[in-house]
Amino acid sequence: MDIKAYIESGVIESYVLGMAEAQEAAELEQLSRQHPEIRKAIDGFEAALEQQALSGAIAPPVQIKEQLLITLADEFMKEEESSVIAFGWFRYMAAASVILLMVSAALNVYFYTQFRSTSTAYQALLVEKNTLFADNQTIQTKALELYSNMQMMSDPTFQKISLTGLKGKENSLATIFWDSKSKDVYLLPNKLPQAAADKQYQLWAIVDGKPVDAGVIDACAGLCKMKNIPNASMFAITLEKKGGSPTPTLAQMYVAGKVG
Amino acid sequence: MEVVKKYSEPELVRLLKQRSRHVFSYLYDNYSGALHSIILNIVNEEELANDVLQEVFIKIWKQIESYDSSKGRLFTWMLNIARNASIDTVRSKSFQNSRQNRELTEDVYTAGGTSEMKTDQIGLKKLVYSLKEEYKVLVELSYFQGYTQDEIAKMLNIPLGTVKTRLRTALIQLREIIKP
Repeated sequence: MDIKAYIESGVIESYVLGMAEAQEAAELEQLSRQHPEIRKAIDGFEAALEQQALSGAIAPPVQIKEQLLITLADEFMKEEESSVIAFGWFRYMAAASVILLMVSAALNVYFYTQFRSTSTAYQALLVEKNTLFADNQTIQTKALELYSNMQMMSDPTFQKISLTGLKGKENSLATIFWDSKSKDVYLLPNKLPQAAADKQYQLWAIVDGKPVDAGVIDACAGLCKMKNIPNASMFAITLEKKGGSPTPTLAQMYVAGKVG
Repeated sequence: MEVVKKYSEPELVRLLKQRSRHVFSYLYDNYSGALHSIILNIVNEEELANDVLQEVFIKIWKQIESYDSSKGRLFTWMLNIARNASIDTVRSKSFQNSRQNRELTEDVYTAGGTSEMKTDQIGLKKLVYSLKEEYKVLVELSYFQGYTQDEIAKMLNIPLGTVKTRLRTALIQLREIIKP
């Protein structure tokens, strides 16, 4: 067989262009395996045809590729560790930074919420602490007052006068502590009925048989400091209108006690 | 941004079989223009050619397993898919339009004179149209329109042997033009 003539017959071009009939094609495939020159001639025409086609290429509209990538989207394997390293890297970096940004944003929200609730709790604690501190101050003051009252009650320079309930008011009781040096008068209202809102108890000192105002009794913890009374033979408490009266209402006398 | 890497043909085929999106994209970028050109040569209508191109790449993707590298280059295989898909499209279109084969044939003699797109100035057809008239007609009918030599012999009313000989001569001449 004349291989050179066969190669020059045009059968190779016909085969490569897909125009050969089945029998011709089978024959050529068979011969190409036996004769490297034929294989070489086929390869040569294929390469030339490809070169020609590439140089005569006409770019299709871009949306065709986009459409194809969408159509085949489910068929691609998961993004390979790309053979094109720089491209892959960039993609992964971009993906990683998006993920980091999202994590960071989520953490921001989380920490801000945490911060808000902690801040609220802190404010509440601060208020509670101030309240406790104030309460503590009050209690300390009261304790100090009670301590000084106790000192007064047990001081020998103080004269203690018990004012006992009068007839019909036997349950009532009050005690005077009278400083024999300064002549200051302190009252302990042990038991007196609750006064009406517009009434107030008033202490009287009886001096030379006449009642002298020794002050109205305010709500006081422990001992109430009354007016200074230089001398008196007796003390008594009456219920008067709020603010006190210039003279006692004798019918409203609750307790009384003689000095000495 | 994208680093251009050249793939060897075996690499391309291997990665396509592995369903690589990246390599499919590469294949498209490198060959869609060449295939588009041959499709236009046959289909003569831009819209339709775009549809065919899309169909061709889907076929390449789905049929890559059947590609046998011992029989020829990947491009030759793709080119044949594109040619066959284009001819099928033209035939089903002309069937839908109830066009007679004969009318199609007559287009050969009135090439460029119709309202259809002039695609004889691009790609392979441009080279074929530089051949002598008697060769050009044979390549047009057999390669671009897909008629068998038998059909051509009847159509042109010339002996089959003459069709065979002339066509072979035409292809040899074409090869000489294509040769780098």
